[in-house]
Amino acid sequence: MMNESRRTFLKGAAFTVAGATLATGVFESVAEASKEATAEFTNTPASLDFYPPLEKWDSFRELDGDDWKRGGINRKGVRSDDNPDGIEVHDYTIVPCVCSNCEAGCGLTAWVDKKTLTVRKYMGNPLHSASRGRNCAKGYAVESQMYDPDRIPFPIKRAPGSKRGEGKWVRISWDQALKEIGKKMHDTLKSGDEISKKSIMYHVGRPNENGFGHRVPHTMGLDGYDSHTNICSAGARQGSIQWANDDRNSPDWANAKLIFLQSSHAADAGHYFQQSAGLIADARKKGAKMVVLDPRLSNSAGIADMWLPVWPGTETALYLYLANRILNEKDKNGDDLIDHGFVKNWLNWDRLMANREYLKFMVTKGYISKMPEDESYESFIEVMKELYAPYTKEYVVKECKLEGQEYKLDKLFEMFIEAGPKIATYIWRSGAIAHRGGWMITRSAFLPLALRGAMRGDVGGVSWHHWHKISIGGKGDAATVAGKKAPKVEVWNELAWPPEYPLSTYEMSYILPHLLMDEEWQNKWRARGLNVPTKLAVWIPRMYNPVWINPDGFRWIEALKDESKIEMSFNLSPTWSETNWYCDYVLPTGLAGERHDQQSEPTKPEQWTAFRQPVLRVALEKMGWKPKVEHRGTLEAHIKAGLGEIWEENEFWAELLCLHVDPDGSLGVRQYWESRKHPGKPVTVKEYYNAGFSLLPNLKKAAEAAYPDSEYPCYEFMRDRGAWTEKTNVYRPQEKELEFDGTYYHAHGHKYHVDEVEKDKFGVLWIVDHEGRKRSIGVEVEGKLYEGFHTPDKKLDLFCEWLIDWKWPEYALPIYPRNEREYDKMIHIVSQVHHRYINQENEFCLNTVFRLPYNIHTRSVNSKHLMEISQNHNPVWIYTKDAERLGIKRGDAVKIRIVDTVSGLESGYFIAMAVPTEATMPGVLACSHHAGRWKLKNAVEIPGFEHALGVMGLGAPLYEMTMDGKVGTLKPKEGIDEGINKRPKSWQFKAFNKDLDNIWWDGLSGSWQNAVAPVHPDPIAGNHAWNQKVILEKAGSDDVIGDIWVNYENNMKTYKAWRDKLTRPLTAQDRERRPYWMPRPAVPLSKKAYSCTIKDI
Amino acid sequence: MNDVLTKQMARVNLYALISRILMKELDEDFLEKLESDEMMLSFFPNYQAWEKPKELSKKELLESYLNVDFTNLFVLHLIPYESFYMREDQMLETGGANPVLQFYNTYDFRVQLEKARSVSPDHIGIELEFMYMLASSEYKALESGDEAVACEIAKIERDFLRDHLLQWTLMFLQNVKAEAGTPLYFDAASLALEFMFNDYEYLHELITEEGCRYAQ
Repeated sequence: MMNESRRTFLKGAAFTVAGATLATGVFESVAEASKEATAEFTNTPASLDFYPPLEKWDSFRELDGDDWKRGGINRKGVRSDDNPDGIEVHDYTIVPCVCSNCEAGCGLTAWVDKKTLTVRKYMGNPLHSASRGRNCAKGYAVESQMYDPDRIPFPIKRAPGSKRGEGKWVRISWDQALKEIGKKMHDTLKSGDEISKKSIMYHVGRPNENGFGHRVPHTMGLDGYDSHTNICSAGARQGSIQWANDDRNSPDWANAKLIFLQSSHAADAGHYFQQSAGLIADARKKGAKMVVLDPRLSNSAGIADMWLPVWPGTETALYLYLANRILNEKDKNGDDLIDHGFVKNWLNWDRLMANREYLKFMVTKGYISKMPEDESYESFIEVMKELYAPYTKEYVVKECKLEGQEYKLDKLFEMFIEAGPKIATYIWRSGAIAHRGGWMITRSAFLPLALRGAMRGDVGGVSWHHWHKISIGGKGDAATVAGKKAPKVEVWNELAWPPEYPLSTYEMSYILPHLLMDEEWQNKWRARGLNVPTKLAVWIPRMYNPVWINPDGFRWIEALKDESKIEMSFNLSPTWSETNWYCDYVLPTGLAGERHDQQSEPTKPEQWTAFRQPVLRVALEKMGWKPKVEHRGTLEAHIKAGLGEIWEENEFWAELLCLHVDPDGSLGVRQYWESRKHPGKPVTVKEYYNAGFSLLPNLKKAAEAAYPDSEYPCYEFMRDRGAWTEKTNVYRPQEKELEFDGTYYHAHGHKYHVDEVEKDKFGVLWIVDHEGRKRSIGVEVEGKLYEGFHTPDKKLDLFCEWLIDWKWPEYALPIYPRNEREYDKMIHIVSQVHHRYINQENEFCLNTVFRLPYNIHTRSVNSKHLMEISQNHNPVWIYTKDAERLGIKRGDAVKIRIVDTVSGLESGYFIAMAVPTEATMPGVLACSHHAGRWKLKNAVEIPGFEHALGVMGLGAPLYEMTMDGKVGTLKPKEGIDEGINKRPKSWQFKAFNKDLDNIWWDGLSGSWQNAVAPVHPDPIAGNHAWNQKVILEKAGSDDVIGDIWVNYENNMKTYKAWRDKLTRPLTAQDRERRPYWMPRPAVPLSKKAYSCTIKDI
Repeated sequence: MNDVLTKQMARVNLYALISRILMKELDEDFLEKLESDEMMLSFFPNYQAWEKPKELSKKELLESYLNVDFTNLFVLHLIPYESFYMREDQMLETGGANPVLQFYNTYDFRVQLEKARSVSPDHIGIELEFMYMLASSEYKALESGDEAVACEIAKIERDFLRDHLLQWTLMFLQNVKAEAGTPLYFDAASLALEFMFNDYEYLHELITEEGCRYAQ
């Protein structure tokens, strides 16, 4: 029986028009595409892997993304001549490389479209065991940098007759550059005297490789390497070196129970963060807690279990407070909290207890009240208990300005103890680079961890970097005619290692212009017998922009413009920069996917290495292309693929040094760069890296198995994979046993005859090296022989005995002023922005050293993607109540006047935008020093070239500059209006820049505060102490955000005040420039170079 | 035409009709067909009583009332997509993971989204047109005497109604009725609702374990 409504619907059968004429007709019949053509594609991915298996990398076909999301391949089939409406299928060669946009060395893969010879996207590298196929925003930005509309397309040279900084340039060929530069370097080196070996300086910013750059000055016999490290992380490194003679610590994040961070580094913006953040997330998933010490509520602090906003620079006090409680309290069972097993065996307490003289010194200093009864471990613990007892909760609350947050200290201690030895930390930039005595923050941070056994390098704890890192980038010697490393360098360059800073962690590179221009200083030391250079013949920055990123930028400009101080300069630079503007040549070298580098970093307890490559070259070679000149393969490939005349340092240096600097081999340089396989020609990258990677036994074995017939198996293995993990689970490496077979000790790959080895009363085994220096090879602990740590005594140096000989006895143990009186006595480890210096209501500490997750110091401005996501004008964070008190509202322009607390001089000011927030602590302003790029011309006309070369159009506004030798100013002029917005069509890389008409930002990414900042060289670690005391005012009616005004004459005086009031320079009593066992980074130096004779005057 | 084919033709035409109205804006040609067909018009009682079609030209009616209402109902204020109603997060699933798309693909039907002017294949108009396509196929099978094939198709129709359309369109069409600014869309929503439920009941009765009882 049919119901009524159904009967009603039957009327539908009686429509006068058929359904077919009513329906819209949105369905179509099945696509005609043949099954064969579409068989490799599915409508939805079969799995959610981001990456195809390795065997498909040489030729991986993928549907165009736009069509994929519209229903897959069945809709219209695959595009072909017969099926023009089909879906585009991209045929890729996937070439692995390594990101270069921070220091982490995350793996990348470049997806090279074989048809267009362009990189369509950069993804991660799943074979990279530390980055695990993941990248941050900066990694994916490599494509936008590669196809930056303002990329420098060919080598350029300062126009003849023009002055540095005038912005007049001509196009030259690489051949001309090689010839002219080669001649200058040849002429400099050929005199062979001491000064010639100090006259060429290779100044490397972010190296992102392990040893190649060092090899450049080394093979020329030069002490001529400057790094950026002393403005970056040297404070932290000093503390690590003092503990372990190792450059930095290396945590096992993933297995820790407490993630203990000072600053946002590691978790959201800083050193190694993409890899570390993933590992930290793994640990937290397993229940680990996270604590963040930071005056600023960073992203990390925001998601932490505890945020401790400690007054900048007072972190030492907090760490010593933890040490005090560990030493003086018991657990609930009444047992000690100290890990006696570790402390007794692996800290050098025995040397402290044996040094009666120093113990007496401690009594006179009031560190302890009386001499210990004996030299026993138990007495040592009593000394420690007394030494750290003053660092009480009441003390630390006052010192760190934690009033109202006392409860957090108890909670922190509880978390610290609950984690046992599984506490992971990475003490890096932040406080350690922000303050005078920043190194003592690191030194003290490791003390509570050591007392709890967390420094054993075991699972979930902290180890040291070199055990987790592979450095073979400088070791391709076997591929060269020389076949071996160059000998040690015989000279000491005071322009990088001045005698005021014998313990400087790294080169004093950021005061290079001050040293070059301070003739009084040069004459003083020349009179005392040191052969101080007065100029540089050639200065070579590489991937570096010191004018902008270093403090006191106007001083840099003064020096670079002075042709009597720097006779020739050339920048190996992938992008335009403020520094390029003042150089003689700009030689465009490759970005992350355009160069060869071996890179390895200590990001987890294993040894991985990655291989950066020019991806277009590799793709072309896989397609059968061959370069005409093998040692110029990268340059030729980039020209062939339409990228421009972009080269790479590896091939550049090999050709320059082999064929131009030392063409006849008379300087002894050529042999290190000439191919052993093809004499007369520069070594090729394939030969060089095959030799280097062959030094890794596990890699070599795997490579030879995978490529049995290859001429360069290790090179090809890394070319195809881009990453390799040589060892995993590298735990407690210091406990590697040292073998003794009755006749020989076997240590560190060498064997030593028993007669050569002497054991001291602390169990340390010593030998005498070929230069007559004593060096330790191992240590006996509880009757067993171990390789030990890298300190001379093979233990962790709680007691830095050598600081006594090097004039700083009061800091041989982790220490911090305990009262007002000691602030003055220990001024070297009291921050220049300590709250004792902040007295007026508009005086603040300016916290400058935090990174922005999307910025890359000086390398963001060439990335459209990164510029778009970073447009916040890098405001000045100010605590809400402070702002209220001073009548400052969000968006107000404020004047930040920088005042030095040593010289008492004012440096000038910058104008910035204020943002009141609860996310910075009272009294502390925050403004990252990583933003605020500028340019003086929108574009450069190159005679004979039809297009003007835009200058940093995407992100550097146009400014007007004045400078008269004393005062410098910079004022924003027109944003990026004329620079990019008026030329929305790029002449190069059009397909990647169709959206230039859609730039909505104004380019102002902050103020150039670095130029206002005077240099603050730490008297011990040598690093710049970044934070500043500032006076905050509302901006005047004529002031605009971006303005700066700098009295750089005052800045020079401030530099001298820090030098003269705080350092303890070398004297006539000193026979060496630096502790010989404390390695000089980069270039190995002979005993002769270390030796000195200084006259008393 | 026998009863079986008549019934089937009615289903074909009704799915065509409601899918068209709910798919995209109407046009003058459609209004012409509607108003010149008493049978069709009989499904729109409120529209028949509305004075505007009598006062205005079809173009004016479309531009001033019907298309405005359509835009309001289908583009601006209501979401005519299944995934919006069915997903916990109320996100539209526009890609290949949409279960409706997978349903179409299984039976070799391909949607031209540009033509449908939709962002996703689970738009109510597209789902109803899919029913129209199935019903048409069933009709052809019956016409050629292949009841077994027709029955297989009927099962697909039943499953699609049960698993998709009836899961969410009740809510959506009730909303249309509540929000409609013109009698046409009010009537269309009523028609679609009633017809789908009725049709599901029909299919449920039609299909047995042994086969379809077309002759009943």
